[in-house]
Amino acid sequence: MSSPKASTRTKAAAKAADVKSGARKPVAAKAKSAKAAAKPSLKEASTKKAPAQVDPSPAQKAAFLKAMAAGVKLDSAASRALVKKKGSPFAATQEAVNAPAPAPKVEVLRRIPAPAAIIDTPESKTALALAALIEKAIDSGDLGKVQPHAQQALVAALCKLYAAHAEAGERFNILGQRSATVAATDVMVVCGALLKAVDLQVFELGMWQSWSSG
Amino acid sequence: MAEQFVGKASEFKDGERQIIRIGEDEIGVFRHQGEFYAYSNFCLHQGGPACEGLTIARVIEPLREDKTSMGLHFSETDMNFVCPWHGYEYDMKTGAHIADPRVKLRKYDIVRKGDEVYVVA
Ligand code: FES
Repeated sequence: MSSPKASTRTKAAAKAADVKSGARKPVAAKAKSAKAAAKPSLKEASTKKAPAQVDPSPAQKAAFLKAMAAGVKLDSAASRALVKKKGSPFAATQEAVNAPAPAPKVEVLRRIPAPAAIIDTPESKTALALAALIEKAIDSGDLGKVQPHAQQALVAALCKLYAAHAEAGERFNILGQRSATVAATDVMVVCGALLKAVDLQVFELGMWQSWSSG
Repeated sequence: MAEQFVGKASEFKDGERQIIRIGEDEIGVFRHQGEFYAYSNFCLHQGGPACEGLTIARVIEPLREDKTSMGLHFSETDMNFVCPWHGYEYDMKTGAHIADPRVKLRKYDIVRKGDEVYVVA
C-alpha cells in the first residue's frame, strides 16, 4: 500500500526523470517539425510565386531622394543594405541604377566648314608654278637664276594687282598661310625696299595709314 | 566604350570638321584627305578648343648637305591643326604636339560601316 503523498512524489520524480532523460524531447521536436512544415522548403520556395512587388509611391520615392541628398551614396554598400530592407522605397531607384546605362547621345556642337575651295584659273596655275620655280631657285642657293630685272617685273606686277584688289574692296591677307614660311626680317627688308623705290619715308606711310583705312 | 554614330561620310566634306559632345567628352572629328580623325577638343596647354583653330600644312626647314637652311617650306604630306588660344600645334594623323610628340591629345578610334561614321567613346 502506498500513501497518496507517496504517489504524488513518485509522479513528480517520474516527471523529473523524464526531463532528465530527454523523454519529453519529442514534444519539442514535434513543435519544431510543425514549424518546419509551415515554412516551405528551399525547392518549394523557389517555385512559389513571390508576392507582387508594389511600386514605391511618389512619397516614398521622394523620401528616398531625401535620403540620398542626406548622404546615402547610390549603389554603395549603404544603399544596397537599405534596398534589402523589406518594403524599402529604395528598391525602385536601385533597380534603375543597376539597369544598363543608356548609350550616351552624340550632340553636334559646331560644324566647321572646309576652307573655301580654291579656284584655279590658268593664270593662277602659271603664277603658282612660277612661285614654285623661284622657291626652288632659292633652295638651290643659285640666286642668279632669277635676275633683278625679272624680280622687278614680278614685284611691280604684284604690287599693282594687290592694290587693285584692295581698291575694289577685296582685301585678303597678302601672305595667307604662307606667312608661316616667310621670315619677319624678309618682310621688313622688302617693305623698306618698296618704300625707298617710290621715295617714301616710314612716317609718310604712318600718316597715310592714319588718314585712310590702309 | 561604344560606337557612337557621328554622321554619314557622304555628307562630310573633305577638310570639314565637327565638334561633338558624347557624354562628358568634347571631340573634334576631322576629315582630311578622305580619312577621319577624332581628338579630344581640350587642349593640353590650358584646355582651349584645340580642334577649332586653323588647319595648316606643317612648316618644315630642309637643310642642304652642308647643313645650311633651305628656308621654310610647307610640307606636302603633313597637316597640323592649331589651338586658337595660344597656338599649340598638333599633328592631324596622331594628335601629337609637333614640338614634343610625347604630348598627345586623346585620340578616339573611328569605325566606318559603309557610309556611316562612328566614334568609339
Ligand atoms: S590652350 Fe591651347 S594653346 Fe593654350
